[in-house]
Amino acid sequence: MIELKNVCKNYGVTKALADVSFKIEKGEIVGFVGPNGAGKSTAMKIITTYTAPTSGTAQVAGYDVMENPLDVRRVIGYLPETVPLYADMLVSEYLEFVGEARHLNGKFKTRYDWVVEAAGLQPVLSRKIGVLSKGFKQRTCLAQALIHDPDVLILDEPTSGLDPLQIIGIRKLIKKLAHEKTIILSTHILPEVATVADRILVINEGRIVADGSFDELRKKVTKTSSVYIAVKSAKKDFEAAIKNLEGFQEVEYDENRKRGEIGAHLFFSSKVDSIENLNTLIREQGWQILEFHPEKLSLEDSFIRLTQSTGAKDEITDSTASEKGGAA
Amino acid sequence: MKDVAIIFRREFRAYFYSPIAYVFSIIFIVLNSGLYMFHFFFFGNADMRAFFSQLPLTLGLIFIPAISMRLWSEEHKLGTVELLLTLPMKSEEIVLGKFLASFLFYLVALAGTLAIPIVLLILGKPDFGPIIGGYFGAILLGAFFLAVGIFISGFFSDQIVSLIITSLTCGFLALIGWQYVPMVIDGWFPGLGEFLYQYVGVTRHFNDIERGVIDLKSIIYFVSFTALFLYLNAKSLERRKY
Repeated sequence: MIELKNVCKNYGVTKALADVSFKIEKGEIVGFVGPNGAGKSTAMKIITTYTAPTSGTAQVAGYDVMENPLDVRRVIGYLPETVPLYADMLVSEYLEFVGEARHLNGKFKTRYDWVVEAAGLQPVLSRKIGVLSKGFKQRTCLAQALIHDPDVLILDEPTSGLDPLQIIGIRKLIKKLAHEKTIILSTHILPEVATVADRILVINEGRIVADGSFDELRKKVTKTSSVYIAVKSAKKDFEAAIKNLEGFQEVEYDENRKRGEIGAHLFFSSKVDSIENLNTLIREQGWQILEFHPEKLSLEDSFIRLTQSTGAKDEITDSTASEKGGAA
Repeated sequence: MKDVAIIFRREFRAYFYSPIAYVFSIIFIVLNSGLYMFHFFFFGNADMRAFFSQLPLTLGLIFIPAISMRLWSEEHKLGTVELLLTLPMKSEEIVLGKFLASFLFYLVALAGTLAIPIVLLILGKPDFGPIIGGYFGAILLGAFFLAVGIFISGFFSDQIVSLIITSLTCGFLALIGWQYVPMVIDGWFPGLGEFLYQYVGVTRHFNDIERGVIDLKSIIYFVSFTALFLYLNAKSLERRKY
């Protein structure tokens, strides 16, 4: 349904997307996850034909975004991050305008009633958009994206600014639409995608760093184990010693330690017994231990690490790719 | 064409959402009629020469920039440009819809000045040739300035910036046709002033039409430049993509 091939997008000298390729099948719900500025919105803008890729091709429902933009636009419902609303219009006027512009004609009435119901807009229909709360604005805009019953829904941070109850409402709505529509939604809140998306694409610095179902990704990221250690030692010696440990990936120093002490979060591949190895090392070095305990990485931390560390990145994408290949 | 009408309707209605439109229409009518009345009482002629001779400046400096500034700048600011440009419409259709809405708004304001020829008709026997020519010229001139304004508005998300740059541009185009402005420029760069007067300035073409000399060249000048700027506007919106 949606296919990007080697898409790059540069804004001046900054690379928003660097060689991104992925394919989304009909009926899939895909979550884009990544920190702000990772390229999630840029990817969506390319799919919706708002911006053009610097290089590479993108297709939606078989139409190329550069060659047949109008055909692409017809099948897409788009909720941009900026929540594009005319502040001076009434909610009903706004939906009428979008309905007209989407050429709904005879179908308008039934679709209008449906989106008003689905987005819960009944109480604000005759209010000016400018005076609405953030939540109602967001929902008005969602109604706009749904009014023409599009096959593809692109939702850029659909739940930002909503209260927990409304978030659950939107999630239910997305679930209800699942399987008849292809949906891409972006977020930086992990549990949110975990509950609705079949598949997650983790994007960072314009690249896809992980691709898979939530459970698959969880398995990948828990491949790393972490230990916190604080000792009295010179930093140089410490660094040299831990680098040679089996399965060592990365070290993050704790800046809040006194002079002469070193505190560090050490990350190891979970395949090795890092605690035992570290014990041996401490005995060999004769360090005086101040603190020493394993750390549990939360899923959030794991994803943050996934989007930060470059070493782990390649490993994860490679293994995901090979697994995908195996499945197919 | 249906899409043009949809955009046109929304845009035209949008002018009346805020008081800005009313305020500027009133300023336009009062300013032009007021400036004209000075001449009218001073010379006591039943013609509208003074009215039409000041029109390029009042239009270019104040009124047109004020009605064209919001056309794209507001969309950029509200983010609705992302909605518009992902609707299944061509950018040319959106631009044309917007242009026609602002053009109709301008025509309504211009119609407000029709009080003057009515008064002239009551008080004396005006020659209607130049007056009809003048209005015809004013329509063409307004369309041209609006096209420039909507084109400039496409580049800025701040309405005030659009207003000032459109005002400077249209003001320059109007002033360059004032006899003494090209003469001053000629004093600095011999030939440039005359060149600008002949080929760039709008006032010369406007004056021709206003005098009742409806020269095809002048009509082509206005219509083709209007079309050119609208086309450039549509292309510049698509170019944003690259």
